[in-house]
Amino acid sequence: MYKTEIRGQLIYGDKTYGRISQDIVAPIDNKAPNWWKAAITISLLAAAWGVYAMYVTVRYGIGTWNVNTSVAWGWEIINFVWWIGIGHAGTAFSIFLLILRQKWRTSINRAAEAMTVFAVICAGIYPIVHMGRPWNFFYVLPYPNTRGPLWVNFNSPLFWDFIAISAYLLISASFWYFGMVPDFATIRDKTTSKLKKAIYGFFAFGWTGSSMEWLRYEKLSFVLGGIAAVLVVSVHSIVSTDFASSIIPGWHATLFPPYFVVGAIFSGFAMVMTLMIIIRKFYKLGDYITDSHLNAIAKILVFVSLIMGTAYATEVFVAWYSGNEYEMFTFFHNRLTGDYTFQFWAMVVCNALIPQLFWFKKVRKNLTIAFIISLFINLGMWYERFNIIVTSLSKDYLPSSWTSYSPTWVEIGIYIGTLGIFSTGVLLFFKFVPMIAIHEVKMVLKLGGNNNKHH
Amino acid sequence: MVATTTNTTNPKQMENTDIIGIFGDEGSLVAAMEALKEKKVPMKDTYTPYPSHHIFEILERESKFTFVAFLYGLVAIVGILSFVIYTSVLDWPVNYGGKPTQAFPSFIVVTVIITILTITILSLLTFSVKAKIYPGKVAKMPVIRSTDDQFVLVLEKSRITDLAAVKAMLSTHGATEILEQEAI
Repeated sequence: MYKTEIRGQLIYGDKTYGRISQDIVAPIDNKAPNWWKAAITISLLAAAWGVYAMYVTVRYGIGTWNVNTSVAWGWEIINFVWWIGIGHAGTAFSIFLLILRQKWRTSINRAAEAMTVFAVICAGIYPIVHMGRPWNFFYVLPYPNTRGPLWVNFNSPLFWDFIAISAYLLISASFWYFGMVPDFATIRDKTTSKLKKAIYGFFAFGWTGSSMEWLRYEKLSFVLGGIAAVLVVSVHSIVSTDFASSIIPGWHATLFPPYFVVGAIFSGFAMVMTLMIIIRKFYKLGDYITDSHLNAIAKILVFVSLIMGTAYATEVFVAWYSGNEYEMFTFFHNRLTGDYTFQFWAMVVCNALIPQLFWFKKVRKNLTIAFIISLFINLGMWYERFNIIVTSLSKDYLPSSWTSYSPTWVEIGIYIGTLGIFSTGVLLFFKFVPMIAIHEVKMVLKLGGNNNKHH
Repeated sequence: MVATTTNTTNPKQMENTDIIGIFGDEGSLVAAMEALKEKKVPMKDTYTPYPSHHIFEILERESKFTFVAFLYGLVAIVGILSFVIYTSVLDWPVNYGGKPTQAFPSFIVVTVIITILTITILSLLTFSVKAKIYPGKVAKMPVIRSTDDQFVLVLEKSRITDLAAVKAMLSTHGATEILEQEAI
């Protein structure tokens, strides 16, 4: 039997199996608190603005954006990559820790997976609106058509991207949903409300918890986990090839796939920390999301931050050491200095310097500071994508095509809209789904130097 | 104190009656199952709030799920690669800037991703079919709290020779309740 002497107690308090169900189901049973109602109102308003901005885009065309011939990719691609990055953590968290048999994942994986699904949905919106004519979306599908017949280009990173993200969304959502089935059964059998019994009963798929159901469930989890681990690495590698396979200075780099994957995990873990602190604070689930959990995430973040810092330094070093004048120009005159200096240094400060505060135990233990740092990381990761996309495109090989770029209200609106869609999804998740995997937490109740000692 | 309850009166039903042992934790259930196995008492099934590898071992539960998933992957990889080569090389080769139409290494990405997707979809379908679960299905289980905090062992009454000894064994190992009820 796995014991976690190193990590200590995984759950605090005098918990019984029944108490665990009760604690985790409480937010579903209780009336929604006022902060939740206020938050969902704001989120829905933001989402509505986003939908309107999308309508404007589709109605009047991409001309409502400030993208131009040189900076053909703007906020939409920045935000697409940003959301995909955030969407990486859930699966990375669940899958890697599942296949490494890390039991401390159990309190966190459900929320991380939910975050993944909503973030990937937000990311998926961007390529569709960027098509200009989204009703022709099906052109990217490989099917025997009447236009040639002409098949899609299977060698194109943009097509890989479409396939990878669709697959990632479907697999993450399936993994998340099937993880919830036994918990829906718990709610179905525990609730006294007839309506809830019917709804959760429908979604529980007739789950009984018999030995064969559990055995197959375990096998399914490991099969999905094993293959999704490949996706965690491949999806953002593929996103990076959208850039790396071009010849634009600052993009044409072999560093890109691992750099993107690590960056994605970095931003995703930061968002996991943000959400975990919110759940812990507002739903009083500190016995499940313990200091030890947040400590572990903070340690991962400080380690990944070092990798990010090294990647930034490597890019600059290689630009100089290669002697390539275009690379030199891009990094030394259009990033470290130049029009986009602020964005470059904001990226360095937010991603490589501020997270170093997590070396200090006091910082790791202070939830307010940890929360602020996690927000800074996500801000920094947004600036990173801005740097990659806008600086390289704004000043390429031909000075006559140099231009600058700033977004229109429509572009900003779509971004705020996706923030609203994401937070609406997360808030609905808080209210209607067990935020912590009930059956998985019960598995670790007796682990870690027997329970019931409150810290 | 162990409560013993009988919920069956009809003689026909008696043939189809289960003995239900209810435990408060996994350890007691596993201990009782080990003791029963030692005495060669046949056990029908368990219903627990979470999976237990001890239970799988005692009941000798096995599944070929991972092997089947591997087969799905194998079929998918061959099928997808053939499809991509058929469309891009044989059916309608398109000249993209003079690049070779037979661009095998770059076919790998799509092949891998769609293989993963295929394995996922087919595995989920297999799971649903084998476990017989689907949206809206009504759950039938002997004890409703087995999805919450009770660990349930089910024995077929007709296959037990010494019922009193089995019940004693269950209570010795911590069964909080022993029921007799019609099999589901």
